[in-house]
Amino acid sequence: MADVLTQVRPTAEGVRRRRQRMPVLVGISFVAATFIVVLVLFGQWLTPYDPTAQNLRLSSAGPGHGHWLGTDSLGRDVTSLIIAGARVAVLGPLIIALGTVLIGATLGIVAGFKGGLLDGVVNRFADLLYALPGLLVVIVIVGVVGGGYWLAVAVLIVLSVPAEIRLCRSATSVQVRMAYVEAARVLGLPARRIMVRHILPNILPTIIATVLLDFVGGLISLSSLSYLGLGVPPGTPDWGSLLQAGQSLLQVNPWMSVAAGAMIILTATSMTLIGDWLYDRYRQRGESR
Amino acid sequence: MTVSEHAGRVDGAELPEEAAAAQLLRVENLTVRSRTGQTLVRDVNLALAAGQTLGLVGESGSGKTMTARSLVRILPANVVSAGSIWFRGAELTAMSERALRRLRGTSISMVLQDPFTALNPLQTVGEHLRESLRRSGRRDRKATTAEIGQRLREVGLDPDAVAGKYPFQLSGGMRQRVALAAALAADPDLLIADEPTTALDVTTQAEVLELLKQLQRDRGMAMIFITHDLRVAFSICDRVMVMYAGSIVEDAPAAELDARPQHPYSLGLLLAEPPVSHYVSQLSFIPGSVPAADSVAAQCSFAARCGWAAEICQVRRPELIAAGPGRQSACVRLADISEELQLAVEQQPTATAPRRAARGEGSLLVARCLTKTYRTSSLTGRARTTVALQDVSFEIGAGESVGLVGETGSGKTTVARCILGLASPDSGELSLAGIDISQYRNLSKPRLRQARRLVQVVFQDPYASLNPALTIGSSLSEALAAGPDDGTRPAVAELLEMVGLPASYAGRRPAALSGGERQRTAIARAIAVRPRLLICDEPVAALDVSVQAQILELLRDVRARYGTSLLFITHDLSVVRQMTDRALVLRHGQIVESGATAAMLDNPQHPYTIRLIESIPPDHRSGPVA
Repeated sequence: MADVLTQVRPTAEGVRRRRQRMPVLVGISFVAATFIVVLVLFGQWLTPYDPTAQNLRLSSAGPGHGHWLGTDSLGRDVTSLIIAGARVAVLGPLIIALGTVLIGATLGIVAGFKGGLLDGVVNRFADLLYALPGLLVVIVIVGVVGGGYWLAVAVLIVLSVPAEIRLCRSATSVQVRMAYVEAARVLGLPARRIMVRHILPNILPTIIATVLLDFVGGLISLSSLSYLGLGVPPGTPDWGSLLQAGQSLLQVNPWMSVAAGAMIILTATSMTLIGDWLYDRYRQRGESR
Repeated sequence: MTVSEHAGRVDGAELPEEAAAAQLLRVENLTVRSRTGQTLVRDVNLALAAGQTLGLVGESGSGKTMTARSLVRILPANVVSAGSIWFRGAELTAMSERALRRLRGTSISMVLQDPFTALNPLQTVGEHLRESLRRSGRRDRKATTAEIGQRLREVGLDPDAVAGKYPFQLSGGMRQRVALAAALAADPDLLIADEPTTALDVTTQAEVLELLKQLQRDRGMAMIFITHDLRVAFSICDRVMVMYAGSIVEDAPAAELDARPQHPYSLGLLLAEPPVSHYVSQLSFIPGSVPAADSVAAQCSFAARCGWAAEICQVRRPELIAAGPGRQSACVRLADISEELQLAVEQQPTATAPRRAARGEGSLLVARCLTKTYRTSSLTGRARTTVALQDVSFEIGAGESVGLVGETGSGKTTVARCILGLASPDSGELSLAGIDISQYRNLSKPRLRQARRLVQVVFQDPYASLNPALTIGSSLSEALAAGPDDGTRPAVAELLEMVGLPASYAGRRPAALSGGERQRTAIARAIAVRPRLLICDEPVAALDVSVQAQILELLRDVRARYGTSLLFITHDLSVVRQMTDRALVLRHGQIVESGATAAMLDNPQHPYTIRLIESIPPDHRSGPVA
């Protein structure tokens, strides 16, 4: 027992490091996320070739000839297509995540804070949307109305709002019962101020985690739609459509599908891990007494 | 070291019968550290004979729970202990987990503080006991059922009524009895009780204490009783060890510690408990708060808060030294100050007539026939109604302090919530300075603003009272902005100074404050709008004894300075005695007795009030001095 004790006598520095140490996986996720952000922001200057430039003499080639990932059936450089596709692939999910959180968190917090009839209405609305089979509805709507990327984004926002509402509402209803919120009400502070200044910062960890999860959900859904040929207009490079286009080249240049799929997985996984980590970190901070 | 040497050192040579008695438990140099290097308990030595009751008394963070948990070796994963623990001659630290588990089930049992989480919600009372009994082997099914019945009767429960019930169907006191029956099922030689009565009502606490005492006597079982409440410790323990910042500062027979504390901290604790028998014009308290064990590793842990501290206290850590027959103290200056300590005990302020608060003209708050029922619908659709308040009428005069006394579920908090507009009464009148506040939502905006400034609140839980995301400064300036703007609005720094906090605290977040400091901040926030009525909902119930009196003094100060009326909600009659002019006793939503505080406590009329007063552990200083 005594030698156990001598082992665990870390210095103050050790304590600090323990608290701040980031798991390796999360570190890798941050690197991956940074990489993707760079592709989105500066992709157009990073492509080795013009992604639209066709070269029919070098169509469906495997890696080599200056093309790291080979070319597609029209002889376009796959690396450039993947890089150019990043912007479309990430932008949609980003808008879905932000839109969802804006609508969902607002409705959820207001419902949780006000309670009563409003709470009931918002919740039944959420229940109703929950009952819809998500992706199927998008496919039908986008298919019938004749599509468009932005319509798909809008429908996906509406479909991911209920989960956000429920989470924010339950997180809020926990806070509402806390003495500090009651003290703010007794002070006569306006409801909006209590919600924004008192409740919001304390449920922020939950919200941050769900933003990233919504992003991942949107990424997967939009990619699936593009794969089905529904989201993005034909010709626009996007990971989902590249995945689909690459399918016919699997025998000659499998790298197109592999790279597009890998990018989707990399983005989704890293965002999920970062979201988890942020949630734990901020929740612990709030709880430290 | 031989056993006899050790016994002589710990128990003192003057107690030969104890030294001779088979030593049940002996702990040497027990040290507990967290894996991050924080010391939680330092060099604890103790010995316990069969049938003896040892009290471990200390405030939160003193290490008493960690000490007890390391005895049975159930420590949190991030904590390690060192030292030797001998139980009936066997060294526990060398035992395998398997052997320990057998020991825990049979020879050593534990009862924990929280009767609400200590039982499995999915198991009936009978199943809990069956499980505990099974561990000790033997018996067929029928015999077990009979045994369960007998065990439940032993803790004062009717087996036919209780055995088939689930924990949520029982009251707190009944649950604690079930937990006790389960702990005793294997007939342990040692029972460790960790604050077993803290979460219970006063009357229930008295019953459970009486039961523990009786069971311990009947079975000749040894007990380690952990509590923060000296009165409780004195009422049940043979010996008491006082812990402070991870080490033992005094060890003495209960009666002697009560009569002649030999350490300034023990004295401080004794004096810090507000007396219930009489009013004291100046409540005594220990300034400051408990330090972390590591910050005082090389000095007397209490030096910073001690009135007798000298240079010698700062230079090394004092050892426990003999301080009379069978007792030890960790005060190096004991020889010099022991007479002064004795004097302080004897010279306690005796009954002072409470100054009559100048009752201003008229009533500030008038409540007439308040009634409130809560409806909860069950799964089967049947609605259950709970009557929280029934025809409650009372008045609070300007500048007056009124106590609202009652146990859990008596409706006292509902009264406060109705006055604050956090709940609305079903019927009845409620008016505050002439404004009808029975339905806050019907008030016009200017009226509402006005009403909001008239009444403020200090809640019980200092940890939930402040927004963890905001700094103290922004919380307070927000409150100030909600107050009247007549050019005399104080700055945050002034507000902090009023409640005895340094101005630098404005930049801190609640997490960096102690419980007492947070409660001061909550008071500052409440008085920021200069209310005429301040509702204090158990404001000191969650605080350490040595800090409670600080907060009570602060509230007295607020009242004297601003002429604020107080509605003091509490279960603690000594707080009522110290803080209020009049008191109302609430039971099952009805006021059963009301009157001037002193008269009511000295000469209670209603049987329930009498029972409340009788349930207080005997005031240690009014009893016969040993």
